[in-house]
Amino acid sequence: MKGHISTEKLAALNEKYLPFAEFAQELEDLTDYPPKFHFSAKDNICATGFQARAGSRILEGYRPPFDATVVRKMREANGILIGKTNMDEFGFGTFCTNSAFGIPRNPHDVERSCGGSSGGAAAITALLDKHVALAESTGGSISCPASFCGVIGLTPTYGRVSRYGLIDYANSLDKIGLIARTSDDLKRFLPIISGPDKKDPTSIVQPQLQLGGFKVKSVAVPEEAMQNLDPAVRTAFEAALEKLREMGIESHRVSMPSLGFALAAYYVLATSEASTNLARYKGMLFGVRGGHIDQSFNDYFSEVRSANFGKEAKRRVLLGTYTRMVGFRDRYYLKALAVRQLVIKEYNGLMEHNDAILTPTMPFIAPRFSEIARMKPLEVYQADFLTVPPNLTGMPHLSLPCGYHDRMPIGMQLVAPHWEERRLLDVAGRWCSGFDIRFPEVSG
Amino acid sequence: MKIGLEVHVQLPTKSKLFCSCSTSAEEPNSSICPTCLGFPGSRPSLNRRALEMGVEIARFLDCKIPEEVWFSRKTYFYPDLPKCFQITQYDSALGTDGTFIVNERTIGIWRAHLEEDPGRIKRVGKAGEEVSLIDYNRSGIPLVEIVTAPDLTSPEEARIFLQELLVELRHIIGTMAGDEQSVRVDANISMDGERVEVKNIQGLRNLEKALKFEASRQSKMVEAGMKVVRETRRYDEVRKVTMSSREKETEEDYGYIGEPDLGTFSVGVIARSLGTTETPLRRAHRMAGHYAVDFGKMRQIVLTSMPLADMFELLAQKVDPEIALAWTLGPISANWSALLPRIDDPVSTALVSIIVQTANREITDSEARRRIDAIASGECPADLSCVVEDGMLDSIIAAFIDEHPQVLRDYSTNPRSANSVIGHVMKVAKGKYNSQEVVEAVKKEIEKRK
Repeated sequence: MKGHISTEKLAALNEKYLPFAEFAQELEDLTDYPPKFHFSAKDNICATGFQARAGSRILEGYRPPFDATVVRKMREANGILIGKTNMDEFGFGTFCTNSAFGIPRNPHDVERSCGGSSGGAAAITALLDKHVALAESTGGSISCPASFCGVIGLTPTYGRVSRYGLIDYANSLDKIGLIARTSDDLKRFLPIISGPDKKDPTSIVQPQLQLGGFKVKSVAVPEEAMQNLDPAVRTAFEAALEKLREMGIESHRVSMPSLGFALAAYYVLATSEASTNLARYKGMLFGVRGGHIDQSFNDYFSEVRSANFGKEAKRRVLLGTYTRMVGFRDRYYLKALAVRQLVIKEYNGLMEHNDAILTPTMPFIAPRFSEIARMKPLEVYQADFLTVPPNLTGMPHLSLPCGYHDRMPIGMQLVAPHWEERRLLDVAGRWCSGFDIRFPEVSG
Repeated sequence: MKIGLEVHVQLPTKSKLFCSCSTSAEEPNSSICPTCLGFPGSRPSLNRRALEMGVEIARFLDCKIPEEVWFSRKTYFYPDLPKCFQITQYDSALGTDGTFIVNERTIGIWRAHLEEDPGRIKRVGKAGEEVSLIDYNRSGIPLVEIVTAPDLTSPEEARIFLQELLVELRHIIGTMAGDEQSVRVDANISMDGERVEVKNIQGLRNLEKALKFEASRQSKMVEAGMKVVRETRRYDEVRKVTMSSREKETEEDYGYIGEPDLGTFSVGVIARSLGTTETPLRRAHRMAGHYAVDFGKMRQIVLTSMPLADMFELLAQKVDPEIALAWTLGPISANWSALLPRIDDPVSTALVSIIVQTANREITDSEARRRIDAIASGECPADLSCVVEDGMLDSIIAAFIDEHPQVLRDYSTNPRSANSVIGHVMKVAKGKYNSQEVVEAVKKEIEKRK
């Protein structure tokens, strides 16, 4: 039966692609009235009935006693949570290779990455018909895997969706969003997860979400975004611009110098906040316990953290601790806050004359694991140079499949002004009616 | 000698600073939730009442209050701190540059800010086999931290400062149970040399003891030609000494960053919406000036209780303030615990009447004292019939009618309603007046009010 899912099917998919950190061992019948639907949640989104480990061994055994607001809302709307999706540890990564629970595989080619950090969310959405995934982006963690797996990723405005129940990476940047197979699903599920929630004070002040009433006529394409692209990406993106023009969306080449500073500012802010968020993992109240409680507290927590944090988590804790230190705080943390305002200003300036800003999502197609193994940490960080800037500004953005190269999908990313998700939905709807999204063979 | 204090006072809110857990729980770890335990996925939301109390305090201290404030994360690893960062205020405070007057001396207030309390560690078991237990009931309890300039000049003055500060705060934000024992202070003290910080002194009495010990320790070192080193020490309550806590000599780096989950709060608006309230010691100042009496005595009155000050002011309007003062601090104070529960009219009226009569030499002082004692001891019934004197008939009637206004309404249709007043007066006065007298006086009063 089309759309039918079973634990056996999830087990089989997980065996081959590893999209889940944990999946439901019993599944409700989805045919009941009112119509039920299935969804997944990234493993950093808390849900009762599942562990929430955020890709980290240090959270082994943590069973949150509450549902994240997004999970509660999806469940109240008759959603069945089928599993928690695999991710880079705490969201620290671009290729989903930093999970303590195995590396998910790209459904289009198992030798390739499905992107990160919401890699499992994008993979399961590509694999499972009618699926929608709750994902989360701090610096591109929805756009990147959506692009690599050939699905649609929507990152709403910062503050649009409650973060209550989200395991923090960097609170001023974290946004819960959706990875879906159709633009109709975005329209259906975005209103469900949006809205003010008193459990997350940063969600309280938000204008009402609008789904329509805006037709995008022009997009700005920054010159800086067209540099250092894989030729296949450039070709597909330029073809997409032509197609958009036929649909009535003009593109204008613009200059956006601040794109060059966004990455550095992002990593300073994100790691500063992350290093404080990760301070709580000391083997006491939740997650793993250390074996030797008869030692001093400093030795105890150091042992627990050394043994259970992954390499990238340790790197970001060190980076973030450094940028917060007396003497460096002004030079890095406070300066990065100022750069963030500069980037926001530049985006807003460009969007006075254009309805949105369009770039490729990632500078290359999903890389092979063998290629990733040769990349240095800084090269990995630089791969995010197009997905980080909109995240730094808190503006809503969307990654749409826009072409294929050797069976592998290529994505483009559209950025709209704060609270203007409807512009993204408008383009998504129009684009999808004329573009055939290819799902991998296994889909059923 | 220079002393500066960092005072941590618990705010008397019902729930914690960032979650809805109760602030009053007996059983250890019974008032806890994912937020005050720092569970991954939990999130803080600010208790508005705590913010308001903090702003009231900052305003009382004459601080400059900014339009907006925000919170910061102070990161350090400690077992009683669930998130390993404390949400506090760093580059933003509720108020800065305030003052507080102690014994006519102005003490500078550098800042006042809000923060959450960590949990409490309890060490149990005998030495060498100690086990630490942690009670998280205290985790997330709202504190206001008040930081003074190093303007205090003696341990005694520091103790008086804190004592008087608590008196005023109690009046502004409500009772803080056991505050004189529970208040926690970090004190900086220097004798013309390096400053030493004595951390985590608990309670008013320990503050003075710790500072006295530290002052004499530093003096002795100087006399012996030794150099006082800049360091952090802690006070051992049992041995009554300060000891080096072997911490780094430089300031610990807490790596402060903004708390992104809470946003900003418009405290300027709150500050402007607050009414004025006269705190006990400010009232003492006003009364001393207004009635030209000794400040120390006014201070004694307000520290006893604000209703006693009300009593004094009632008297001082009728008799010479010095006489009012003598009676307030004398027989009334002596009987205060008995008088306080029923100090409203007609008791206060009766007390004023007694003292006015003795001031006018209508009754002797000893008779006045006897009557006050009688009211206080309860020998005199609630209706004060035992102290009823000539001239009090009218006030007994008036007081009764004030309390029972329906008598007036009923009287127009049914004159017999006056009987309830007459009955009351006869009972109260226990035959002091004849019935004819009473009936006439009641009728006269009712007619007057018609």
